[in-house]
Amino acid sequence: MTEQLESDFRELVSVQEQAGLDPLSDGMLGAQDLFRPLAEAAEGLEARPLTRFLDTNTFYRAVLVDGEPRLRKPLPPPDLPGGRWVGTLPSPYAFARAADGRVSAGALAANVLAPQIEAWSEAGCALIVLAEPFLAREGEAGEALAPLTKLPQSVPLALQLVFGDASRLLDELAEAPIAAVGVDFYLTPADALPEDYPKEILAGVVDARSSALEDPDVITRFVEELVPRRPSGISLVPNGDLQFVSEKIAREKLVRLGRARQTIGEAVSA
Amino acid sequence: MSIQFVTREIGSLAKPSWRVKTFAGRPLEDNDVAEAERWGKRLEVDGYEELVEGLGRGTLERSEIDDWAAVYALRLLERAGIDVVYDGEQRRTEMYDHVAAHARGFEPRGTVRSFDNKYYAKAAVVEQPSVTGSQDVDEFRFVRDHTDRIVKVPLTGAYTMVDWSYDEHYSREGALGASAERRYDARRRFVADVAEHVIRPNVEGLVNTDAQWIQIDEPAATTKPDEVPLVVLGFNAATKGIGPEVKKSMHICFSDYSALWPHVLELEDCLELQLEFANRDSRELGTRDEDRPGYRDTLRLFKEHGYPDVGLGVLDIHSDFVEPSALVRDRILYAVKTLDDPGRIQINPDCGLRTRSWEVVYEKLINMVEGTRLAEEVLNRTSAAAARA
Repeated sequence: MTEQLESDFRELVSVQEQAGLDPLSDGMLGAQDLFRPLAEAAEGLEARPLTRFLDTNTFYRAVLVDGEPRLRKPLPPPDLPGGRWVGTLPSPYAFARAADGRVSAGALAANVLAPQIEAWSEAGCALIVLAEPFLAREGEAGEALAPLTKLPQSVPLALQLVFGDASRLLDELAEAPIAAVGVDFYLTPADALPEDYPKEILAGVVDARSSALEDPDVITRFVEELVPRRPSGISLVPNGDLQFVSEKIAREKLVRLGRARQTIGEAVSA
Repeated sequence: MSIQFVTREIGSLAKPSWRVKTFAGRPLEDNDVAEAERWGKRLEVDGYEELVEGLGRGTLERSEIDDWAAVYALRLLERAGIDVVYDGEQRRTEMYDHVAAHARGFEPRGTVRSFDNKYYAKAAVVEQPSVTGSQDVDEFRFVRDHTDRIVKVPLTGAYTMVDWSYDEHYSREGALGASAERRYDARRRFVADVAEHVIRPNVEGLVNTDAQWIQIDEPAATTKPDEVPLVVLGFNAATKGIGPEVKKSMHICFSDYSALWPHVLELEDCLELQLEFANRDSRELGTRDEDRPGYRDTLRLFKEHGYPDVGLGVLDIHSDFVEPSALVRDRILYAVKTLDDPGRIQINPDCGLRTRSWEVVYEKLINMVEGTRLAEEVLNRTSAAAARA
């Protein structure tokens, strides 16, 4: 890790701690995009054609397949306290979508993601967020659910539906082998959340694509709409990676997220 | 009648180090001046010695350096054999900031990552955007006066300006939990205002200065597939009132083209869509479906819908791989075979070439032109043989 990267990482951790966020994230500062670290760490995969992400002015390197994919060596865990950090990986469905269907989500789950999750589990990861930028727009929940069964349960898994309306997926995801579902409430109405939802909701209440700073009181009032629907838990999160705003704005958004959480109290975490 | 394709660039070229450093206030080194001399000789730029001397002595104004950079870019394209040219956008910072910094109503909000470790400056709209005049008329006049080729003016489209901006005006209130209809209406108003009050004044000024071809760049066109109708709205509003004597086209890249149809059928008087294809294609030769995975599905959409025509991207602009002319030839031949109408096809790189060195760009463009001539030979030979039979 370069000196600058290390310095940025420490700064990011400090901001999260000051905002009262827990668990902590490494911010994926060393990752060029969501798929590339794993694609480069696996046999049979290569990251090459530049492809625009739906919904953001960002790109990823689409994944080419030239053999049976297999993780050569797991990505190292971040330097964060054991039991208090969250790791982010692509969901199996998203990973396969980035490969444009050239490899199945099941194969990627079993041979690349599963060993990676096991490695991070042993390294003290508290939660693994499977980022899913495609499903809310174009896929069926069933396509994403099956490969999830190939993932180990040694650490809680969350499926985060980034920047999309999750309404039509929530019922089916209630049956998924995951502990939590991330929902973008800038695109999903609050009443789309079924009552007594059996999963924890990672409530995306900070808009990672907007420079406008959230009012903690507005977040609080919105969360008060969610609480009566009685999901198994509520955590407050951004609705996607904060890489879509400048560092200064991202920092302020985290502070405001922390303030909202403090106002709401112990009913939710952040 | 023989088949002859028109070759074009898309827009940007890298800026020479002597231009970049001058504008950044950094001192030039000997190798910067040597580069100006080397390319001046290579491209046979008239009077390049004046630039070299001025750079060496530090006596040139910034505006003069901008002029030289534009001339060098024009000569590079001309010497490579390109038929339709511009100045490599040498005077523009980049396609987004060039517009946002000029227009009223945008405020900077820092830099964000675009891809790999590339970042761009992003602004927020804070009031209805507007401009006081045509932004690019002087730039166009200079190009027109310094080339005998056809000139095509690239302009950033309204939708892309909207999609790449933060919105602190149109959807300011109640974003958390807002309805889809309310969000869409805010986007529609934002696009319409940028098209009408920012882009169209520029288009009108250019056309009044005798610009013959306006290219609207909409790389963000399919980032939100349900908003493709807003891309169309932006194009039509920006070019409203411009007669058919002026060519109008649209460039889109690195996108999901399947989302474009049927909406793009509503584009008014749009000559063609210039799209990126080579980035997603194989580098092997061949003209079968399986040889050309980057072209197959999208060209079928052009074929199926019959409108608009296609600007065929044949150079991958994010790679230093120099496409052999035979590969360019095969990409064109495959497109002709798929569309069954060579009259609907013209040739260009995938996108602007600003991320490549001039060395690589020059080789790529020369091969693009050569590959185009090879394709024409094959098609005309085949056509002649059929006529004889």
